[in-house]
Amino acid sequence: MVGKRKHTSGARWIITAVAVAGALVAAGCGSSGGTSTTPSSTSGTKAPSTAAVSTSQCGTKAGATATGTPIPLGVIVTNQPGTSFTDISNMAAAYFACVNANGGIKGHPIKYYIETEQTNPAQIAADAKQLVQTDHVVGIVGNTSIIECSIDSSYWQKLGYDIIDSGIAPECWSTPNSAAVNMGPRYSSDGAVQYALSQHVSKIVFDQSNVPGTGYIAAGPAALAGAAHVPITQLTENVPISDADSVAIKEVDDAGPNGAVILNFTPPEALVILQAAQKLGLEDRVKLWGCSTPCDTDFLATSLGPKWNSKLFVNAELTPADGTNTHTMNLYRAILAQYGKAVSGGIGSFSQFGFVEAEVAVKALETITGPYTVASVSAAFKAVTNFDTGMLCQKWTYGNYSLHIPNNEDYTVTPDNGKMVTAQGCTQISSVDPQIKAYRNVAGVATADPTAG
Amino acid sequence: MPSWQDFQPFIVSGLALGGVYALSGVGMVVLYQATGVVYLAFGAVGAMGALIAWSLINDAHAPGWVGWLVCVAFSAVVTLGYGMVFGRALAKRDPLIKAVATLGLTLVLFGLMDLLWTTSGGESRAITLPTDGGGFTIGQVQVDWTQVIGLGAGIVITVVTGAFLRYTKLGTAMRAMANDREITATLGVPVRRVEAAAWLGCGVLAGVAGVLLADLVALDATTLTFLVISSLAAALIARLRSITLTFAAAILIGLVHDLLTPITSLTNYRDMTPFVLAAVALLVLSRSRVLSRSREEM
Repeated sequence: MVGKRKHTSGARWIITAVAVAGALVAAGCGSSGGTSTTPSSTSGTKAPSTAAVSTSQCGTKAGATATGTPIPLGVIVTNQPGTSFTDISNMAAAYFACVNANGGIKGHPIKYYIETEQTNPAQIAADAKQLVQTDHVVGIVGNTSIIECSIDSSYWQKLGYDIIDSGIAPECWSTPNSAAVNMGPRYSSDGAVQYALSQHVSKIVFDQSNVPGTGYIAAGPAALAGAAHVPITQLTENVPISDADSVAIKEVDDAGPNGAVILNFTPPEALVILQAAQKLGLEDRVKLWGCSTPCDTDFLATSLGPKWNSKLFVNAELTPADGTNTHTMNLYRAILAQYGKAVSGGIGSFSQFGFVEAEVAVKALETITGPYTVASVSAAFKAVTNFDTGMLCQKWTYGNYSLHIPNNEDYTVTPDNGKMVTAQGCTQISSVDPQIKAYRNVAGVATADPTAG
Repeated sequence: MPSWQDFQPFIVSGLALGGVYALSGVGMVVLYQATGVVYLAFGAVGAMGALIAWSLINDAHAPGWVGWLVCVAFSAVVTLGYGMVFGRALAKRDPLIKAVATLGLTLVLFGLMDLLWTTSGGESRAITLPTDGGGFTIGQVQVDWTQVIGLGAGIVITVVTGAFLRYTKLGTAMRAMANDREITATLGVPVRRVEAAAWLGCGVLAGVAGVLLADLVALDATTLTFLVISSLAAALIARLRSITLTFAAAILIGLVHDLLTPITSLTNYRDMTPFVLAAVALLVLSRSRVLSRSREEM
């Protein structure tokens, strides 16, 4: 009951094979030489051990395919060259497929409509209308887009949709009808800066992509550094970065030997900066490097190599996948292995976001006793309180608040020979950030470290 | 304003990037001279070659040199193939149409790269060369061997191409075609074969640039595809005629771009460098031409 995605690895190999054949004809035999290409940033974590957890545990009736009237849910995700969040919606789709195969929601399967957009406001608005007017969705689950929250927030509010998403734009956290499972760039950057400050650095250089919303993101780290009386330099870079060497030199020069460089970029952009620093021998010219959540990927850890072990510290909004053997993590791995063929990145933050969003939505839908309407689904979503997702540092609450930052406690991870491992356990993001303070004033704090016990 | 010492590392990185821009720009100028085509797919072809190399090295565990050779070979074959298939049909068309046609190839390759080497799961890829590890220090500035190769490749390609155009039969034929394709053909020069050589050479340079830029800049389809803008700007400054001037312009673009980095008030505008320099150069050159014509008329 979900959209399908093309598998690319086979096609890639056909292209590669053709290229090899072409190479042999055109280039002939080359002389032998050394190789120092970086280790593969493979997605080899796609079929992990599932520690005997059956996917049937995702639903209420093991093995019983849901055949009732479908419950239509929708999602809008960014999918454009260089920025794609389709792993999030594809993982949510995998979870829903699992639920549908194991009893559904009281016998009703979930039909999941996935719309993709390319950061085009008109297209995003049209996608929302398509979901509402054509697909007649009763709930929105998993939206992940650079600007969707800004474009559609008032539309969803007007129609009475309370959505569950993974946010990027400020409106994903600052409005009454959007609750995100992630912390997003601002609070994740807060976490990275907070860790650096805890290591007594003398200066912070905070560098991020030059995209809409940088001022909003920068306000959090600025507040934290200001409260600690540590100077902070704010930089922005046009992306894609075409002069990584210069960027790395500038950051290191600004930070100084006892300073920290904190990056807020997508993994490919962060990687080019960190690799440039490594090539130029700059990694040890500052006390530490930090990064917001997107860097929490084994792809990055593998590509960087051991020089960055305990040198780079990444804020992690979700339970570190490597080495965590809880029931939820094993169920996530099992669903990913059985239903997540379209999740190209395998285990990682993006697919974890999709899992949590679908998990919360399913638990909420199971509480509905009457018909599945926009009103009943939104009410069920809003009623989610202190739900232990098994993947966040704290219990997740939607609630009837004017703003929602339900994920405001996090881990810090560091590369360890190709894997990301925990450097610091669950730590609350500081209330020095005025937005966090405002949220805690209305919603309080709920802790549930899934790695503990 | 940063001190002279602050600027020094940026001179090194600027020279290295400028060298690779020069290599690319020279390839584009030679192809334009021989065929009249501004090859906008130069970056995309090299990018796809580099991504194929990455797959071979990381997924198939092929030796690095195999990956690099495949990158060069792929770029050469695709470029030559494009030239052979579309070259004749486009030969008598307007230069703008010829350029836009190569934009079509760019978009096809760009779409393929996005499909085959997705970043939707946070994937990040990199190619590093053995020369990254070593290097030397000038003052307090670290220089790695890949940067030296970047600049060296630009110089060598410019010199070798210059000598090739001046002293070889094929090079002379290419220069003749730049002046007048029809007359050159009537003189018995095998224009199709000469064009094929130009396409092939341009493709080889695209592959070499792809490997070097994947290491010096990033192994990312978008980044590598659009880096062609800097090379194109250098070629335009040289009015798509002089490879020596193309080299100088490319080095200037690389240097100015990187030297703007530590200047806080200008750093976010440094990506405008190729556009600004190209626009200024074209305006100045047009003005000089108008002035000299006026003088002649007087």
